[in-house]
Amino acid sequence: MKKNPFVIISILLVIALIAGCAPIQAPQSPSTPSSQGSAPAQTDVQTDDLKPITFKMYSVETDAYPDSDFSSPVAKEIQKATGVTLEIENAVSSDAGLQKLSLMAASGDYPDFVYGKGDLNILKNVDAILKLDDLIEQYGSNIKKFYGDDIKRLRWSLDDPSIYYIGGKELGQENMEPNAGFQLQLGAVKELGYPRLRTLEDFENAIKTYYANHPTLYDQKAIPFSLLADDWRFMITVSNPANFATGNSDDGEWYIDLKTLDCVRHLTREPVKEYFRWLNHMNDIGLLDPESFVQKYDQYKAKIASGRVIALADARWEIDEPVTALKKDGKYEAVYGYFPITLDESVKFADFQSTGYLGGWGLAITKNCKDPVRAIKFFDWMCTEEAQILTHWGVKDLHYTIENGKRVLKQEVKDMRNSDPAWQQKTGIKKYCYPFPTYGNAVKDSTGQYFEAFDTLDAIAERQLPIENEVLAAYGVKYWKELYPQSDEFPVKPHGAAWLVNMDDPEWIAADDRILKIGYQMIPAIVMGKPSEFDAKWEEYQKAMKDAGLDWVTEQFEKVLKERTKLWQ
Amino acid sequence: MIFHICNYTLMILLCVSTLYPFLNVIAISLNDSVDTIKGGITIIPREFTLLNYAEIFKSKSLATSVIISVLRTVTGTVTGILSSSMVAYVISRNDFIAKKFVTVLFILTMYVSGGLIPEYMLIRNLGLNNNFLVYILPGLISAFNVIVLRSFMDSLPFELQESAKLDGANDFTVFFRIIFPLCTPAIATISLFIAVGQWNSWFDTYLYCGSNRALTTLQYELQKILLSAQSSGQQDIYGSADMISQKRISPESIRMAMTVVATLPILFVYPFVQKYFIKGLTLGAVKT
Repeated sequence: MKKNPFVIISILLVIALIAGCAPIQAPQSPSTPSSQGSAPAQTDVQTDDLKPITFKMYSVETDAYPDSDFSSPVAKEIQKATGVTLEIENAVSSDAGLQKLSLMAASGDYPDFVYGKGDLNILKNVDAILKLDDLIEQYGSNIKKFYGDDIKRLRWSLDDPSIYYIGGKELGQENMEPNAGFQLQLGAVKELGYPRLRTLEDFENAIKTYYANHPTLYDQKAIPFSLLADDWRFMITVSNPANFATGNSDDGEWYIDLKTLDCVRHLTREPVKEYFRWLNHMNDIGLLDPESFVQKYDQYKAKIASGRVIALADARWEIDEPVTALKKDGKYEAVYGYFPITLDESVKFADFQSTGYLGGWGLAITKNCKDPVRAIKFFDWMCTEEAQILTHWGVKDLHYTIENGKRVLKQEVKDMRNSDPAWQQKTGIKKYCYPFPTYGNAVKDSTGQYFEAFDTLDAIAERQLPIENEVLAAYGVKYWKELYPQSDEFPVKPHGAAWLVNMDDPEWIAADDRILKIGYQMIPAIVMGKPSEFDAKWEEYQKAMKDAGLDWVTEQFEKVLKERTKLWQ
Repeated sequence: MIFHICNYTLMILLCVSTLYPFLNVIAISLNDSVDTIKGGITIIPREFTLLNYAEIFKSKSLATSVIISVLRTVTGTVTGILSSSMVAYVISRNDFIAKKFVTVLFILTMYVSGGLIPEYMLIRNLGLNNNFLVYILPGLISAFNVIVLRSFMDSLPFELQESAKLDGANDFTVFFRIIFPLCTPAIATISLFIAVGQWNSWFDTYLYCGSNRALTTLQYELQKILLSAQSSGQQDIYGSADMISQKRISPESIRMAMTVVATLPILFVYPFVQKYFIKGLTLGAVKT
């Protein structure tokens, strides 16, 4: 008797399961891609192209201030020029974005455009996105002009070398400020008489001397040199600087031979070992903050904001908040200068090495798109110079004026940008750049002016503190960037950036994570240990990584990276 | 005497340890966000400001989202309570033939759920996407609530129903006049469960109504503000640098101000139902 309900329920469930599966396949048949099919209906009348049409778009990028009714001045101009209205829905978090993409794939409910970052393959796997090659060939003359040779970097894979998306990252982007490097308080640099800061030894001497002269800073005990190892931030502040100081640019945890494209985990390399030997030495002579490996991010920020940390090895964005606090308190001497410090003189700090166009992500048109031809024409228009100026600078006379043939932003737009977080929502400027096809800050238009309106050297000069200018002048330069080896001293990285490589094998991800976590555990012990035990402990660390499957992880990664690079050539 | 001293110290410590985090949250939410980075804020803001709140309320769609949130909480709670208790009443009756089967069926859903994708497809095929009803209908009956209510009803003497019947009451009269009023403690508890759930939920908005601005809820909008404040810190890794300059309000402060905005309404309601809340929870557990 007791079993009965369960039997019935199981039967019901099985039936429900079968019934539930059926509709998944259903939506695949309607609305086939109309790239060729629509040819006879073609009219060359412009009015047809300007008929109002609304495209729905989903983006996994979050946006707290969406231009949701497409009503900003820039949006209105786009509408005027193309007839297109965009209805953009943004993800609320990266996890939620991924879930939504999976739901779309399962239900067949796609908007017209999807920006899926590295997870677009979810839609590609169910054939939900359109091949764009023919459409671009037919209607995309501006798109082709826009990308030039870099259009190869949009191709999907070696097995399927078609184009499924356009846009994504900026084309022709160059950093205007160093993002990585070793930081020393400007007060220290000044007091020490602008010493040459090139190698770890120089850096160490500078810290040592300044610390000896100033055991306290702002009435608190000074901290000569501090690191942060709070979970993933370990990679940013402990692991990455080792990679940079040995002459590699940001490739995540990898070192990639640019000629052969052979990959190795950078933490296995000899020079990197020497970097950690230096850290160990710094700890030994009492210059490393003993809390380096235990402090949490907010404690670290609080320390920096107090102005007592003399030197750092961090990324700009990670110390942005405490540095803002320092500036607000007028502790300008405690603000940091950026120096391209490396292991020895033979190594060049490669922060400005160009990755080339990072074409791994972009906007896809789905097969539910009402009118793929109009869609591609819309993107084609977005690639014109007119559109690029509109999306970067705003509307002429409203946001910028032309003086002596040069575009000049109105002061109120600049002010708004500095004071109102919703300025993009209100003006529409920069709202339709990324992830649409967009030029980066190193590209000039036909009149020789930069497309970029804000992220320019002039803007940085305006932002720099008087003390920064003083220090920079003493080194004979105007910007921090100029202290670094410039991008033309390095070859363009053929593989883009290793951190952009998508590995979807869960087993690989698990193994990679395991190897990473071994570092989280063992590197602190190596650095904080006795110098005499350094070599033995480093050996132990190498062995632990090997035992965790390092060879296999490297091999797999190298395979994917090489394939992608081949695709891009 | 010593016992009392120990007792009071312990109790005070307990109060402090539960109250302190919340006061800390309020303090940080009222403190200047750049100043907060320096750390060391306890329960009194160092540099008082309302800017963090201003930031949250700058969002365009916040006003409508508050209305939707209140509407869904009120409607969802009223309809939810009504349907759950009616179902509970039916399965508490011994003369209901399929009582056991239906109960098992309900309990089963507590162990086995449909999963995200089937649920999404069900909702979509029912045409509930971008529809206010999606906040109400799926949560109308929850097995857990029904079971709690049924246990409570089981503990009421059956004679009450019998005598009412003798006096000529039909099933509806018995339910609304006798059972429902007697269940107040349980009903209050369940109402609070449902209301808190409704008030806090944002994921359903995201899944089903994210593209419809007229239907977004407060929690969803807050979530959006929080996450974009968070992600702007990482923007740099992914290239779009112009977000960074906008980041004058730190995610920390935003998060705290948001927590306050999101919890205050619940905090105001709680004292009024608290006495039922504790009673209801224990009453459902032990039958006397």
